[in-house]
Amino acid sequence: MTSTSTVPPRATDEKRANKLLGGVALPVGILGLLIVGSLLSEQFLTTRNLTNVVINMSIVGIIVVGMTFVFIVRGLADLSVPAMVGIGALLALGLQPALGSVLAALVGVLAASLAGLINGLLIGYARLNPVITTLATGTIVLGVAQAAVGGVIVYGNDPELQAFLTGRLIGVPVIVLIFLAVALGGHLLLSRTTFGRWVYATGSNPEAARASAIPLQFTKGAAFWMTATLSGFSGVLLGLTLQTARPGVGAGYEFDAITAVVVGGVSLLGGFGSMPRALGGLLLVTLLSNIMVLNGIPTESQGLVMGSLIAAAVALDVYLRRRGGAS
Amino acid sequence: MITPSPTDTPPVLDMTGITKSFPGVKALTDVDLSVSAGEVHAIVGENGAGKSTLMKILAGVHGPDRGTIALDGEQVHFSSPLEAKAHGIGMVYQEINLVPDLSVAENIGLGDMPNSAGLVKRKALSQRAQEVLDQLGTRIDPQQLVGRLSVSQQQLVEIAKIYARQPRIMVLDEPTSSLSQHEAKALFSVVERMRAKGIAIIYISHRLREVLDISDRVTVLRDGRMIDCRPTAGLTPKEMITLMVGRDLDDVFPKREVEIGQPVLEVRELTRVGLFEDISLTVRAGEIVGLAGLVGAGRTEVARAIFGLDRFDSGSVLIDGAEVTVRSPKAAVRAGIALVPEDRKRDGVALSLTVKDNIALPVLDQVAAFGWVLRSQERRLAQKKAEDLYVSPPVIERTVATFSGGNQQKVVLAKWLATNPKVLILDEPTRGVDVGAKSDIHTIIGELAAEGVAVLMISSELPEVLAVSDRVYVLHEGRLTAELSRADANEESVMTAATGEVAAP
Repeated sequence: MTSTSTVPPRATDEKRANKLLGGVALPVGILGLLIVGSLLSEQFLTTRNLTNVVINMSIVGIIVVGMTFVFIVRGLADLSVPAMVGIGALLALGLQPALGSVLAALVGVLAASLAGLINGLLIGYARLNPVITTLATGTIVLGVAQAAVGGVIVYGNDPELQAFLTGRLIGVPVIVLIFLAVALGGHLLLSRTTFGRWVYATGSNPEAARASAIPLQFTKGAAFWMTATLSGFSGVLLGLTLQTARPGVGAGYEFDAITAVVVGGVSLLGGFGSMPRALGGLLLVTLLSNIMVLNGIPTESQGLVMGSLIAAAVALDVYLRRRGGAS
Repeated sequence: MITPSPTDTPPVLDMTGITKSFPGVKALTDVDLSVSAGEVHAIVGENGAGKSTLMKILAGVHGPDRGTIALDGEQVHFSSPLEAKAHGIGMVYQEINLVPDLSVAENIGLGDMPNSAGLVKRKALSQRAQEVLDQLGTRIDPQQLVGRLSVSQQQLVEIAKIYARQPRIMVLDEPTSSLSQHEAKALFSVVERMRAKGIAIIYISHRLREVLDISDRVTVLRDGRMIDCRPTAGLTPKEMITLMVGRDLDDVFPKREVEIGQPVLEVRELTRVGLFEDISLTVRAGEIVGLAGLVGAGRTEVARAIFGLDRFDSGSVLIDGAEVTVRSPKAAVRAGIALVPEDRKRDGVALSLTVKDNIALPVLDQVAAFGWVLRSQERRLAQKKAEDLYVSPPVIERTVATFSGGNQQKVVLAKWLATNPKVLILDEPTRGVDVGAKSDIHTIIGELAAEGVAVLMISSELPEVLAVSDRVYVLHEGRLTAELSRADANEESVMTAATGEVAAP
């Protein structure tokens, strides 16, 4: 029982320092990487390279938006992302000859969305473990997709759409604009709507949320449904920009999205974090890997760096939580 | 073996001058307790009298601020529960701490498995368990999985597990609270056998009849002080109740005169098998009704069922004379019911969110248009409620975790008052709350009643119930045993009904 007026000064200083650490670490890290990157390589601070960084961010960024909801609602993580990306890309290209590009893309998103609905029902309403459930649905969806296309590469045939997506609109790559729109929508949904409040409350204290008449099951389920839908959408975009897809095209995206969210300081324990934080984490991670690539660091060592970064971010989160007194 | 008379053998346990404070509360003041070998020594007292704290000190969970513990005349100091265990202190708590997927024998042997090179000797294990069970005179199969046993059998296994470590002192904390009277008999014969083996037994129970039947001496605690220690022979339940509650009521809870209106909340024959049965009660507009009873009597369960947090098997809930379906908190809130829950940290607040977010939670649709939160309205509502309830400091953008327990409780109250309830159920609204916040909360409850809210208040603090309530219902083991008007309700009449000393009305 710490009454606010009786907290000794040292403890308040400590709290302030912790708050600073939690809020400032990310911008400082990004700034630091920009400086280090430009010192290490002349190519780093070129428009061309930074444009590449932002484009690279966009595809996984759309998934990060969903994954942020999953984290804050205390849903642990969605491991069905690669399957949803895969099914989106495969259907968008595979159905092109039959349905046309737009309709095929729509079917791609809807298929992932439907699978996401199953995730949501199983996790939200049947209260199954999210990690196991998404692992299972992901494996099933990927299996079906593989069987459907025969496990080979699918090619698209719509160079015009490809050119549009990889081109620019008012000077900004179209794909980046799409990502920014999704990010803004996700940010507003999380921070400004009743649903967003439900997400935070459910993640912070599910029992109290239930006692406060919050639709717990819906909220949790919706977070997973959103993530799958956005992953499918991301897969469609990926397929259309490459005009080629194989079932395994989404491999690793779940890891990238989780890394970004965790590094952004969104708590795995739920109830804390924000869209800007998660996207800041994404920017930091993308910059870091860009710098490593530019400086010719071998892929194996990159894994080591990324893994350490995640471990450090999780450790910091747990440390700050303990200090903050919230369990 | 002849049972030695407790008074002429030197005590196995001698606790003297035990004093213990927690931040803001003096839990124990100068308490003495001495227990002899082969004695069953009962400790009685109201909820919060200090029984558990005293036992936790004996078990090495807490260290005393002052006072000494001596075993067989030798002073000891426990810095951990393990040390206490090593000195032969065995604790059997209310909750059962067994592994349901292991057998009885394995549970009894847990922590001390007979093995050779890390491989469990199964035969030795079950042999030892059989011996222990035989000594206690129970007929439980050591090979049976614990999860398949009844609660009362599990309780006996729990005791056997502790007994197997050959303790000198055995503490039984409310061992019969979840047992029927018939099941309790089996337990008593086990206690008798342990007594005959010369173990010193400390027995904590709210069932006074039981205490009279089984114990040799009784120590009465009240408000953290030792009131009396007497031989059980010759005591009556009435005398014990007087010893437990006999204190002057100081006038700290001024009662406001409020006009009482029509019935708002009516509960009819509410039943949840195994927890509570046939609960019928009425709360009128402007009325404050107390729901008294001992811990475990089913008060919280009834409250949670009325609010739709837990299901019930039969019965009905009426608001303003019309039956409402309260199958979820959402439905209850819509019907105008609010519940300030017993466990604040679990059901009350979301600690990592701000005061504003917590208060707005159940009324988001009031401050939102088509799902879009109107932030200035949200802030205004939260600010007003926080100030109405004297949340201090009234800074609504701070996370709840940074507030004291009393102020967190006010945040929970603020949250529920924001829903403008017709019926407010308060479950232990002032537990763990400092004196200042407590008096604030009492003032608020009085104001609400004056505004015509029907208030149902659960409290384990008898003086609080008596001072605040217009009427008091008393629960004993899931049944209503009394309905007392303000004039008839006093510590004795409530405690008598709460301990089941009167027949159901």
